Amino acid sequence: MTELLAQLTGGTFMFTLITGAIVFATPYALAAMGGYTSERSGVMNIALEGKMLMSACVTAIVALPTHNALLGVLAGMGSAILLSLFHWLLTQHFQIDQIISGMAINAISFGATNFLAGKFIDQANNQIPILPLWKNPFGQNQPFQITIFMLLAFLLPVLLAYYAARSRGGLRMMAVGSDPEKARLIGVQPRRVRLVALIAAGAFTGLAGAMIVSNAGSFTDNMTAGRGFIALAALIVGGWRPIPSLLACLAFGVFDALQLQLQGTALFGVIVPSPVWQSVPYVVTVIALAGFLGRSRPPAGLGKA
Amino acid sequence: MRWQILALAAGCVGLIILALVASGSNPVEVFGKLISGSFGTPANISGTLKETTPLLMLGLGVYLALKAGLFNIGIEGQFIVGAFTCAVIALRVPGPFGMLLGVAGGTVAGAVWALPAGWIRAYRGGHEVITTIMLNNVAALLTTALVAGPFKDPTDESPTTASLAASSQLHPILNQGGLQVSAAILIGTACVFALAWWLRRTVAGYELQAVGANPTAAKFAGVKAPQVILRAMCVSGALGGLAGGLQVLAYDGRFYQGFSPGYGFDALGVALLAGNSPIGLFPSALLFGVLQKGGTSIQFLGVPKGITYVILGFLIVIAATVRYRKVKNHD
Repeated sequence: MTELLAQLTGGTFMFTLITGAIVFATPYALAAMGGYTSERSGVMNIALEGKMLMSACVTAIVALPTHNALLGVLAGMGSAILLSLFHWLLTQHFQIDQIISGMAINAISFGATNFLAGKFIDQANNQIPILPLWKNPFGQNQPFQITIFMLLAFLLPVLLAYYAARSRGGLRMMAVGSDPEKARLIGVQPRRVRLVALIAAGAFTGLAGAMIVSNAGSFTDNMTAGRGFIALAALIVGGWRPIPSLLACLAFGVFDALQLQLQGTALFGVIVPSPVWQSVPYVVTVIALAGFLGRSRPPAGLGKA
Repeated sequence: MRWQILALAAGCVGLIILALVASGSNPVEVFGKLISGSFGTPANISGTLKETTPLLMLGLGVYLALKAGLFNIGIEGQFIVGAFTCAVIALRVPGPFGMLLGVAGGTVAGAVWALPAGWIRAYRGGHEVITTIMLNNVAALLTTALVAGPFKDPTDESPTTASLAASSQLHPILNQGGLQVSAAILIGTACVFALAWWLRRTVAGYELQAVGANPTAAKFAGVKAPQVILRAMCVSGALGGLAGGLQVLAYDGRFYQGFSPGYGFDALGVALLAGNSPIGLFPSALLFGVLQKGGTSIQFLGVPKGITYVILGFLIVIAATVRYRKVKNHD
């Protein structure tokens, strides 16, 4: 026990934990913000996972042969935006149930990335170039890199909170998501607002996917591995508000980093298997939905026409 | 609207053909392989029936929940939990009694796994789709931890339980010239007819459909909607668990990490394509079975299996534009 305590309070442990948590939380936060804009405008978005996966795949396909990180990220974001436009077409024009459309997009994305990766990614050439970053800001012996994704992940929630509360566009987004009928009466067109919200969601989830694939260095099948659902969970635990959602993402990131570091370490005499650690965010979300973590209120117009 | 749906369908088909051509495959050849891979030989037919079995039962579970106005995305998790429970029980208790106990245990486990989602939806107002997505992930992670830990077969490298003894497995009732038909698909068929009867002829079944059609009206007619929702979710979960148990006894003979290749998602499509009558589940489950089985065959042509999931997704989208649209149309 004392050994464990010494390890926990040691400088490197805390440093690795915090930096690890930030790396894990970044794609969660970016994707959660995508969920925020779409759900606040009334479109339920369980397709975050699929959009991230698509972006990760397309980023790899474009960045590998061109050796251009920026081009890769932009292409990835573009692919996620395309999926979002399809999502808009299905939910707003064809008025399909939003759960069905979300699940369908996830399936299409899972299949399409498997197909595209199998056909268009050269497995031998698999070092994805990364965007310029700030290498080792804490000195050579503290290996950590600050990427543009991390800065965006922390900036976006603040900007979005301000946007939703203060700007005309943001207030319209909130109005449409709370009561599309009344929004329509005051002359706001829900479809148009949702189009913008979904394009933003595509861009944010696209960033998240690009971050995941450039962090890993190569694309593998289903590499997002449920991160889109954790982002959705963070959005819910954060009560559909940007900054609390960011905090939830960070908390889930800490869990991931902790799990990675405590692997094989006995905690109070038992070795907790890593899948148990990994299921914590999901369990927390179920408890939050049961209303045991304070009332978490979804946007009132979620899923309405 | 009709021509727009046709345009959407044409766009989907065109996109798939385009993807195949762009990757250097012949779409006609790929489609032919999909069919011959699922019906070409008796062994292929057996394989297709094997894939169809869980899809039929899970589709039935989703269908039942849909009738009550619920989306049971959690059928995947209920299937996994049921399969794991059944495997563990059948490994401990040998013979037919163990099999019976295993299937019963799997069914109960599936219902229990659906319980929180049903309860939260019925009494706390939390959306069942989100809770079941979360519970699916928990089910996959926890069973992985269990088959990698206390229930792992020590002689095997990968996380799996030991294989069931031959006496604890459900053997094919028909085994002729490579064609194998398991009792599991008959049990699934019986379940479809039983539930069709239950929905049409019992008070509970009527109440379930009433809540699904209009919860407010059902409430004023004296139906206790929360109870009905909880019951529907648990029965749906029980079907998922039963399907998992039968999958272990009839086909796999063990439980392992990654047990379900996404049957839960396919089941949603099966239920959506089935239409208004439970009988529609048969052709719909068969179609998805063909895509699962034939999808493995097209890999021999160098076409990644992923393309079948794209086809599935498009099929679901098109089915939903025809059937599951919101009535109102503004703007």
